[in-house]
Amino acid sequence: MDGHQTTMVTAGPVAKAQLDVFYVTCWVTLVIFVLVGAVLAYATIKFKARTDADEHAEPPEQSHGNPLIELGLIGASIFALVIIAVPTLKGIWYTYEPPAEQKENVYEVTATGYQWWFKFEYPKEQIDGVGSLVTGNELVIPAGRPVVIQLRTVDVIHSFWVPKLAGKVDMIPNRGNHLWLQADEPGYFWGQCAEYCGDSHAVMRFRVIALAEKDFADWVAGQKQAARTVAATAQAGADNAKVQFASFKRNEYGFTPKWDANATVSPLDNWKQQQFPAKDENPALIAQGRKLFTEKTCAGCHTIRGHEGIGITGPDLTHIGARTTIAGGLLENNPDQMARWIAHPDVVKPGNKMYTTGYLPNNVQLTDADVAALVAYLESLK
Amino acid sequence: MDATVKSHFTPHEAPAPTKAAVFWRPTAKSGLMSWLTTVDHKKIGFLYGIFALFFFLVGGVEALLIRLQLAVPNNDILTAAQYNTMFTMHGTTMIFLAVMPLSAAFFNYIMPLQIGARDVAFPRLNAFSLWTFVAGAIIINLGWFMQDGPPDGGWFGYAPLTSKTFSADHSIDMWVMGLQLLGVASIAASLNFIVTIINLRAPGMTMMRVPVFSWMTLVTAFLIILSFPAITIALVELMMDRLFGTNFFEVSNGGMPVLWQHLFWVFGHPEVYILILPAMGIISEILPTFSRKPLFGYPIVVFSGACIGFLGFSVWSHHMFTTGMGTVATAAFSLATMAIAVPTGVKIFNWIGTIWGGHLKMSTPMMFALGFVWMFMMGGFSGVMHAAAPADAQQQDSYFVIAHFHYVLIGGSLFALLAGIHYWFPLMFGRKVSEFWGKLSFWIIFAGFNITFFPMHFLGLNGMPRRTFTYDANLGWNTPNFIATVGAFILGIGVLIYFIVMIYTYAKGERVKRDYWDGRTLEWSIPNPPPEYNFAVIPTVHARDAWWYEKHHQEEIAKEKAAHAKEDAAHGGIHMPFQSVYPLVTSIGILIGAIGVSVVDHGHKLPVALAGAAVMLAGIYLWAMEGNEGYHIQADQEDSHK
Repeated sequence: MDGHQTTMVTAGPVAKAQLDVFYVTCWVTLVIFVLVGAVLAYATIKFKARTDADEHAEPPEQSHGNPLIELGLIGASIFALVIIAVPTLKGIWYTYEPPAEQKENVYEVTATGYQWWFKFEYPKEQIDGVGSLVTGNELVIPAGRPVVIQLRTVDVIHSFWVPKLAGKVDMIPNRGNHLWLQADEPGYFWGQCAEYCGDSHAVMRFRVIALAEKDFADWVAGQKQAARTVAATAQAGADNAKVQFASFKRNEYGFTPKWDANATVSPLDNWKQQQFPAKDENPALIAQGRKLFTEKTCAGCHTIRGHEGIGITGPDLTHIGARTTIAGGLLENNPDQMARWIAHPDVVKPGNKMYTTGYLPNNVQLTDADVAALVAYLESLK
Repeated sequence: MDATVKSHFTPHEAPAPTKAAVFWRPTAKSGLMSWLTTVDHKKIGFLYGIFALFFFLVGGVEALLIRLQLAVPNNDILTAAQYNTMFTMHGTTMIFLAVMPLSAAFFNYIMPLQIGARDVAFPRLNAFSLWTFVAGAIIINLGWFMQDGPPDGGWFGYAPLTSKTFSADHSIDMWVMGLQLLGVASIAASLNFIVTIINLRAPGMTMMRVPVFSWMTLVTAFLIILSFPAITIALVELMMDRLFGTNFFEVSNGGMPVLWQHLFWVFGHPEVYILILPAMGIISEILPTFSRKPLFGYPIVVFSGACIGFLGFSVWSHHMFTTGMGTVATAAFSLATMAIAVPTGVKIFNWIGTIWGGHLKMSTPMMFALGFVWMFMMGGFSGVMHAAAPADAQQQDSYFVIAHFHYVLIGGSLFALLAGIHYWFPLMFGRKVSEFWGKLSFWIIFAGFNITFFPMHFLGLNGMPRRTFTYDANLGWNTPNFIATVGAFILGIGVLIYFIVMIYTYAKGERVKRDYWDGRTLEWSIPNPPPEYNFAVIPTVHARDAWWYEKHHQEEIAKEKAAHAKEDAAHGGIHMPFQSVYPLVTSIGILIGAIGVSVVDHGHKLPVALAGAAVMLAGIYLWAMEGNEGYHIQADQEDSHK
């Protein structure tokens, strides 16, 4: 019960309040169950006909009931429900909005559901000439502060759920919902869409990363930067890029060893490492990838701020290389998985809006070399 | 017997005019034609049961495929699309095509016998309900045989995922159309049951002497006629959006998807009680019979059933705690939901009160009934946990919910229905089910069920969302999922044994005498299998457990029966309705029309739909014109007397 996505180990006040209410319901019903169950078990054993003769004996007294017993039990049930109702009502109001004394301190973010990924917007972080800071699938928030998340969707109903931080609230078209949550300590949290939203609902996942105040400010500053351009060096050429990627079996969805229970690096440290460029970058290959990003029409749907991408229907990729996951929180972000995702989007994410038999909308195809170049380019976008 | 005489109920008592050949009345008493044109509530109930059990097996196979896919992480036995189809069809099938019609089978078969009636009030309408239900079931399942595949929008069909924009193919059209037909069938049947219970009770059977199962039939029928209009509105709106470009749920033109949720759950929550109240009725019959004692607190059990039905209409939004309703609405629905726990708890207390001080005969129906009480308690308690909205914010759409409602629907509804089949089998077929095999199947089903669904509580609390075709290996979900899959197959084996035993018993089981269980209600007063006229002489009711009273006051009853028999004889015997083909014709017309609207490609819809409408209207017209004639039969006297 202590999985990455458990509701039983909480990391913030909202999830804690919800868990507390759950425990109240759990204990009250457990007590009733034991009491009623004991009577039922006793009656079953005590009044069981043991022999054939017993079964055919004179019928027992044909009694019809006892109003006093009924009234007493009804009263007791109502009393038990009141025990549950009081914390329930408190919880409903507490979990709806951040406490009044914290109002000043609230940080606000907008989350938007798409089939099958999440966009996160930071209205407080404006970039000159661009607008709000936008990122995808990994929501970075300041720890120790209430965060109000406005919930929107562009297509069907989705639901925003980070179990360790807060229960879910739906993203419903033509309806402005919100939730609030707070991570007490810096940490790395698992989230997942909780409302059936079509083919790839099961693989519509995301992460929430809570950072200490200073780290968060640094992260925001870094995100506001335009996409990173790797300077060309003389030695490398595109043709020496015989990159080999690991192959995956069809059914290995999101195989993510870095997050296994026995992983050596904590997920948050792993996230921090991800912020730095790889040491073995190949500038020529990266430049080739950047060229392909436009040629192969990726730029029509994805934004890479400062580079060529201008599309808004797909996730913003300006700093994709610095995220720990790709494909909507599904795969660990490394060159092997990136290659797998780019080469077989339909397998990784059935029904996705990027690819049917080729890349939409013009049925574009990629060779292995194209994939290698694109992977190098995207991974360089730290 | 079977001396057929012209009914004196013929309009105007005029000499029968020479009727057109189209008014041919089928008279076959056996063979296919007798089943297709029957108006006998027992045959119709039997057919409901057969169709329901067939779809129960289909839904079961779908469930096993779901569990197979989830047995291990990242499995690929099913694709995402196939998996989504499976859970959509599993839910739709089990609710609308298995549990509801199985309840309807008992309503049809047992209720008239319990209230001392010779049939339901409108026998031909009853046949129409059956065939329209079959038409709806066909439409919903046609997708298996088509390229578009079966529906994949979930049994709840949330807009806008089910709109043309996101589900362009015909599968959702078929789901929408099929459910509307099922609604027509259910409402027609319910009106029939209501009129029957209000008007056709035997003399002396006041409402407070009506057996609890028949009472629950009445409450359920009211729930159906009050709740189905809500989903019908939603379905019609969705159909209009999809076929005619209206904008009820079309977001880009200002439609409101959340409206669908309200309409759906205004139906959907009473639907939960539509599924469970008949089960509670069955349990309230079995426990007294096998405890050899009257039901404890009959008036309170009846009243709490009605109360559950009433409150059931005021809690729909507890399915929507996560839709951002705001604090006040959430609190109101939270408290209303908790309030339902009181009448539900009352039932459990009264069932325990019933067995207290009894002589419990532990036959198979009793085992299932006691299993029901235990499992329903557990499902009820997890229901209280959902009622607490803050806790529900974590549980909603997680496996915890799946555990909860399967405890209520399998441990509850299904256990009761399986108990009911065992209980009334000797009455329906005059044969008894082997106790050994019956109990064996009970224990396997009981174990399999708990092994499958108990671990799901933990899966849900550990954060596994519903309706997911795959999951990662590192989230702590592997073991409970594997256990659940093993349990599901154990459950499947149990169900298989249950049905094999039933089929064997039907053909070769040991014959038993009348009133095999020493019953308390009127259905046990007649021979088995029941004659087509049910009661040779309409009984007079003097007490709540009418048959129990009769058995202990035989002389008094014999005199009354002789008087009633005389009356019947003065009318020429027992009046029976003629069979009719037109309910079937009408339903076939509806089926054709529905295929036209939902299955046929755009451009060809109109002619097919119109053809269907023409057949339907012809059916209705001829049905009306053929009149409600009948014939008389003389009951076998030794048959009629105990």
